[in-house]
Amino acid sequence: MSLARILALANRIMRQVLRDKRTLALIFIVPLLMMTLLYLVLTNTSSVHTLAIVRPSGTGSDTIDTLITNLLPGKDKLNTIYINADQVDDKLKNGDADAAVIFPPNFAQQVFSDQNPAVQIKLEGSDPGVASAMRDLTESFTHQLGLALATLKAQQTQGKGGPAPITLSTLAGPLPFTINEPQYLHGGPQYTFNDSIAPVFIGVFSFFFIFILTSVAFLRERSQGTIERVMVSPLTRPELVLGYICGFTLFALVQSLIILLFVVFALQVHYSGNLALVFLVTALLTIGSVNLGIFLSTFAQNEFQIVQFIPLVLGVQVFLSGIFWPIAQLPGALRPISYILPLTYANDALRGVMLKSAGIGQISGQLVALLIFALAMIMLSSLTMRRQIA
Amino acid sequence: MAEVPSHTREAQQPEKPGSGSTVVVISELVKQFGKLRAIDNLNMTINTGETFGLIGPNGSGKTTLIRMLVGLMRPTSGAIRIMGERIPSARIAPHIGYMTQLNALYLDLTAKENMQFFCNIYGLRGKQQKERIDEMLERVDLANRTNDVAGTFSGGMKQRLSLACALVHHPSLALLDEPTVGVDPELRRSFWDYFAQLNSEGITIIVSTHHLDEAARCTRLGLMRSGALLAHDTPQELLRQSGKDNMEDAFLHFASQQKKN
Repeated sequence: MSLARILALANRIMRQVLRDKRTLALIFIVPLLMMTLLYLVLTNTSSVHTLAIVRPSGTGSDTIDTLITNLLPGKDKLNTIYINADQVDDKLKNGDADAAVIFPPNFAQQVFSDQNPAVQIKLEGSDPGVASAMRDLTESFTHQLGLALATLKAQQTQGKGGPAPITLSTLAGPLPFTINEPQYLHGGPQYTFNDSIAPVFIGVFSFFFIFILTSVAFLRERSQGTIERVMVSPLTRPELVLGYICGFTLFALVQSLIILLFVVFALQVHYSGNLALVFLVTALLTIGSVNLGIFLSTFAQNEFQIVQFIPLVLGVQVFLSGIFWPIAQLPGALRPISYILPLTYANDALRGVMLKSAGIGQISGQLVALLIFALAMIMLSSLTMRRQIA
Repeated sequence: MAEVPSHTREAQQPEKPGSGSTVVVISELVKQFGKLRAIDNLNMTINTGETFGLIGPNGSGKTTLIRMLVGLMRPTSGAIRIMGERIPSARIAPHIGYMTQLNALYLDLTAKENMQFFCNIYGLRGKQQKERIDEMLERVDLANRTNDVAGTFSGGMKQRLSLACALVHHPSLALLDEPTVGVDPELRRSFWDYFAQLNSEGITIIVSTHHLDEAARCTRLGLMRSGALLAHDTPQELLRQSGKDNMEDAFLHFASQQKKN
């Protein structure tokens, strides 16, 4: 054992790393960037949800309204909007509200005349975390309202004037109205966080692995010298790009299918949508991913340098494409970045299809965005291939 | 009679008997990389069915010239015509075979799969493809390694496969950049025997080498140095003009002439 030899080797390794500026950036700068991003996302992400209320109408509603306003959490904790009964589904569908509490007309009258009206809670449901929080909130709110109204009724029967005595029987007794079982527009009480993550995995894995596969394969074409043979041959550059896309798309689709089957049958994730649409999203994402791989591989001389791109290509998207934190709740400064990431749209589309049974019409916007990304990447990759000819 | 260095003669060289028309015409070719003049006002013609040797030391511009001939690099100025077409031209691609210095092979595919790929992109299919692949592998002595992965081959074997891939699609013009580098003498001789056979079939070969002993086997030679063409004639003519009895001395003669000018 020779210390001198050990140090000679360590010294050589250090010289190699010091000469490699990109590796130095990877070791020192990238962790700081990632941590900053995570910090910004975690501390500033707001989680104020929106509750829509269909107010009771008819005589005596004012009292109830005041009660409602007083019982609801403040603006900093909950955003409340007041709507009509026919607007409920629309508001939930387009995301203006996360949940709704619907009071029937003549609610006050029915309560005070012992007719036991029904109050309906409706939850949007596609984000199980939000749905569960809103369910707790609305159930507790309606329960409190019930207690308050029960006390008021007791006061009424005792005669007017003076604060109503709150007896145990008032508090422990039945509420003067029924709270119906909450309805879910999408999903259901059995849906958990896992269900909202699973669709996202299909997009993330297919994007990431196809990117890595393509960039390494293309790098090898260059480093093995075969790219020159190919360029001298009758194969045109558009044919080259299409060849790569076709070669990898099959694997991307099979991978999506396998993940989907696993997620549905092995992980028992709940799923409601159209398989063909899942494939369409995956195929579009793959086209973009292949061309991004071709483009970025021209900046890499070896596989390690491609690895150095992973924090940039995948890391940023994990934080900002809405996988764990919804885009609308991200800090304002970061949101524009979300809108240029392909996974933002893929995740949205996949969740729409798998959790909300979205049809092609509802995800058309996201499909167009993915198409634009694919075309932009095709342009970049063809520009770089042109530069191969000096 | 006063000796006139070849490079001041006109571009059009006297036709070698029976060689047919010219395949490649290079006129006033220049390639500049910043301050470096890699190809300096080159004029050259190459005739059908000949083996044209580009002889010269490393850095003389042989590879640069070949890359411009196949269209991988654009000239700074000047013109190249192959089979009458101005380069770059997509129509020429099917008729050109190219072998690079780097063994450009798919190391994760077998010998046969490599050749199948090139056959397919050059449009050679079906029974013709199969027969041609077998024929070529036989010719480069790799028939017993048809289904072996190219990554397991030795350097010489890779060279042989690379040559086979360059010629599999029956090109009429083959551009081979230092095909005999690192190749043993026996294999070198068999390559040159093959080139002679291809010539007799009317196929033109442009080959670059810095082995002066191979020069004698070329139909005509282009001696290059520092991007310029020193001399451009048959080996016998060059020996006669320089008054030397071997190519090495002849080359040094022409090189010293260049320095004087």
